[in-house]
Amino acid sequence: MAGDGRELGTSETPEAASGAVVHHSEPVMGTVVTITVVGGDLDRDGIRAAVDAACAVLHQADDVFSTWKADSPMSRVRRGELDLTRAPDVIGEVLHLCEQARSDTAGWFDPWAMPGGVDPTGLVKGWAVERARDVLVRAGVAGAMVNAGGDLAVWGTAPPEPVGAASDPPQGPSPWRVGIVHPWRADAVARVVELGDATGAGAAVATSGTYERGAHLVDPWSRRARCSLASATVIGPHLALADAFATALAVGGDRVLAAPWRTGGGYEAYLIRPDGSELATPGVATVVAPLPHSQRN
Amino acid sequence: MRRAPVVLGATLAGLAGVFAFHTHPTSGVLAPLPGAPGSGGSAGSGGSGKGTSRPSTTPSTSTSPTSPSSHPTSAPASSTTTTAPSSASATGTAIQYGYGVLAVKVTVSGKRITQVSVPELRTADSYSQTLATQVIPMLHSEVMSAQSARINAISGATYTCEAFAQSLQAALNKVHFR
Repeated sequence: MAGDGRELGTSETPEAASGAVVHHSEPVMGTVVTITVVGGDLDRDGIRAAVDAACAVLHQADDVFSTWKADSPMSRVRRGELDLTRAPDVIGEVLHLCEQARSDTAGWFDPWAMPGGVDPTGLVKGWAVERARDVLVRAGVAGAMVNAGGDLAVWGTAPPEPVGAASDPPQGPSPWRVGIVHPWRADAVARVVELGDATGAGAAVATSGTYERGAHLVDPWSRRARCSLASATVIGPHLALADAFATALAVGGDRVLAAPWRTGGGYEAYLIRPDGSELATPGVATVVAPLPHSQRN
Repeated sequence: MRRAPVVLGATLAGLAGVFAFHTHPTSGVLAPLPGAPGSGGSAGSGGSGKGTSRPSTTPSTSTSPTSPSSHPTSAPASSTTTTAPSSASATGTAIQYGYGVLAVKVTVSGKRITQVSVPELRTADSYSQTLATQVIPMLHSEVMSAQSARINAISGATYTCEAFAQSLQAALNKVHFR
């Protein structure tokens, strides 16, 4: 079970150039969140403290927002037992983000259309993941990734040798490389997104699709489960919104591309449609690389 | 709750293996990605996982409407992994997913993942079993492909794959592999 912490935990690897690399898996928010830290100048105690603080942020978010916990503030708000003015401030903050996402997607992401009252679950996980990443950044790490089941936020440099690296590790800061799983090809990561962090603001990737929690994607207009795309990936500065936009694209399909989310926010989309065709917003070409042929076979 | 996988299966039946860039006329704001991967290995090429072994239980293609007819059951059985002296194995946390519980076992030798298997798989009902036998082998291959792609993480995890990836990560952490 995910709640059994014995097999989770932390592994550390000494690394001369960019500090120790630490992987940590934390069961929280109904999933397992994986944290990867490139320590930089931090010693092991410093990294440990930063990871603990990041995990605490995740658990705090779970305590406030869980709709599975009947006594959580969010559950009480949903039932009308707790007025928003008396609820924790973060609930108002998240609902404000939900309103923005609903507006930016022309209503295709709509937490207010969920059965049982407003449900920010589709956005709050990304929001919490990003806050956890920012805790790591403020602690002084050289690089960090917080990954909740494929919806992830990164900052700084990736570990010098990612899983599966060949024997020639790249020198200097490494971009984070995120494989986008192909919806049905047996042997394929469809694309690799490279997330450099030139601006120092971090980056996020979220993917939704018919093959991911398909039945949980609810059409806000018909209130029934619906999927138009095979896979929708959104790359952008903030995971909370990227997650919401990806959900909207997966539910609404191509028409959501015309919604306001694309104007000025720095978000790009990569879509694999049910017929296998791929589409991308123009800015994606700079961050998405096709797999070299040598890596395809 | 169960519509989406069926829809996906119906799509799969006709389209698996199709992986070309169709430049459909859609909204003009979209650009087809460069580098059409038409020469990429097709499903079932079996070549992406060097030194790996396919699961012995190949998915059935005849018993369920959700099974794509072109699913790579014809993948050649590649060489069985031999456990080198430097290899290590670990089984990740059993993770609950939408239709049951699974755990992933990983074997690494040096810096290479040499084998990934699912020693624990419990599903809620027969439908889930059908889905799981269909999905798990595909994920197996994807992990191998991901390795060759030199990536830090996977996005787009399926409902099953999410649990798969989590358990795999836990297993990798246990063997201190990165």
